Amino acid sequence: MTMTTEPPPVRAPARSPVRAGKRTTLNGRDRTFGFMLAAPAVALFLAVAVYPLVASLGTSLYDQSLIRPGRSFIGFDNYSDVWPDFVDRLGITLVFSVFATVFPLFLGLGLALLLNARLKGRSVLRGMLMLPWLLPGVVVSFLWAWIFNDSYGVLNHVLSQVGLPEVDFLGAPGTAMAAVIIAKSWNTFPWMMVVILAVLQTLPREQLEAAAIDGASRPQRFWHVSLPHLIGPVALVTMLEFIYNFGSFDMIFVMTGGGPGTSTMTLAVSIYQYAFVEFSLGRAAAMGVLWLVALSVVCAAYFLLNKKLEARR
Amino acid sequence: MSLVSFLPARRRSRHVGEGITRPTLGVAGKLSLAVLGLFGLLPVYWLVATAFMQREDVFSKDRPFFPFNPTLDNFGAFFEDTALLSALGNSVIVSAGTAAVSVLVAGLMAYSLSKFRYRGRNLFMVMFLVGQLVPGVLLLVSLYLMFSAAGLLYTYTAVVLAFTTFTLPLTVFLLKGIIDGLPDEIIEAAKVDGLSNLAILFRIIFPLITPGLVTAGMFAFMRGWSDLLFALTLAGPDKQTLPVGMTTAFIHEGSGDWPALMAASVITSLPLALIFIALQRYFVSGLAAGAVKG
Repeated sequence: MTMTTEPPPVRAPARSPVRAGKRTTLNGRDRTFGFMLAAPAVALFLAVAVYPLVASLGTSLYDQSLIRPGRSFIGFDNYSDVWPDFVDRLGITLVFSVFATVFPLFLGLGLALLLNARLKGRSVLRGMLMLPWLLPGVVVSFLWAWIFNDSYGVLNHVLSQVGLPEVDFLGAPGTAMAAVIIAKSWNTFPWMMVVILAVLQTLPREQLEAAAIDGASRPQRFWHVSLPHLIGPVALVTMLEFIYNFGSFDMIFVMTGGGPGTSTMTLAVSIYQYAFVEFSLGRAAAMGVLWLVALSVVCAAYFLLNKKLEARR
Repeated sequence: MSLVSFLPARRRSRHVGEGITRPTLGVAGKLSLAVLGLFGLLPVYWLVATAFMQREDVFSKDRPFFPFNPTLDNFGAFFEDTALLSALGNSVIVSAGTAAVSVLVAGLMAYSLSKFRYRGRNLFMVMFLVGQLVPGVLLLVSLYLMFSAAGLLYTYTAVVLAFTTFTLPLTVFLLKGIIDGLPDEIIEAAKVDGLSNLAILFRIIFPLITPGLVTAGMFAFMRGWSDLLFALTLAGPDKQTLPVGMTTAFIHEGSGDWPALMAASVITSLPLALIFIALQRYFVSGLAAGAVKG
């Protein structure tokens, strides 16, 4: 497994003249053939991913309904309509995605470090701990909705048995958000765990041993030797996880539907709501465009930060 | 990732310094492992236990935490529910279709990216890398309008096309990594023997990377099997897959039949667990190739 923290290899071929030079048999006809091989995938991607993204820019300028035909141009009205909602939902989405990224990160890191130890049944345990990540998102949502259920949930059952008051976890704004974050964290930590475990396998053994011989304690070895190697790949998966969480739809949709009120109404659920509940496609599209702008800012910030880190190394 | 790293790693022999790279756990370490492990596994236990519990036990105040009188009734309920059964059928069709189309399209693309140099190649790579970061929900409105205009709304085709597209970044980079590990000499030798480009691809390259193609197909299958968003909006009532069927049957109609829902969840999860067991070795490296490599 190779993991790099580099930005996409835009100029990769230019940097590898050896490989290019080896390809002496590649004539123009082969090159056309290579291009043709790429055609189906590229066409599919252009039609089903790129075009819809661009088209939604257009849709966002129209008053267009899901159920009525026809549309009328209204300029930026959709944007001014959804702006207050967007700001509110952006905050909710940030809370959800920050916590649902940080919790699994630390859970995964902790478990990876523990599972990296010499241990009986280590690989069995590691395999079983992949289950939460393997289950389909809806199943995870059903399961946690059942655990958090107000009248028959196992959590309330335990609470009442130790004499504590029962809580309507999914029915109150604060606990509903906590509940979906816990469910999502449970769903994601195995992925963080295996990625970190994989990186731990690649740690330079000689450096760790040298540090130990020089009298570095275990925490010191982790801090000075392991961590510098971990940080790049871990930052990358964390960033990716954050972006995925930002767009995560299924768990919140199933567990709370955005409620109670709009307390767990993330941008993803909100867009679905605009389009398929209120049937306002223009507003849904406007919301999406605003989101895309926010996402680009986050990505740009990450790459800038990453470049700085790389430069310092 | 080369072909070599794709093959299962050989068990490393113990060596002198292993206590340093792989320490043993103290009491505190074992305790934390137990706590974190329980957080990971108890919910899974509860999913399976509820599925096997008697209904009266589930809803009684002094409910057992262990299904003392295990029953298959909850599973029976699933197989008597025609809506869920047809959703199961749809899930199989759509996921298998996604796997088949993905493997073919991604296989061609991966070979192209790996062994050919042409204008636009880098642009394609960047497009796939960046494309996987775009959340599906942003495309929802346009996809709905587009498939509706094309007369494909509420068809298997629409759902398979959407699933395949969003699986492509993963499958393409997974397969590209494997094909990168094949030496160019194979292709050149085949050419000297007079094989056409297509024959080289289908009679030499694809057979050589069959395990990779199977892995990619399984990943695509899992994506299709698990997805809610596109299945919910593009499949319509007749072609809906299991995740959608379960959501409408149990959550939106508020039936509150949790044991039956847990049984249906176990049934839905079973194929994924089996795939995982079959492919465990390739999982991390495969997914990392698609999701992290960049």
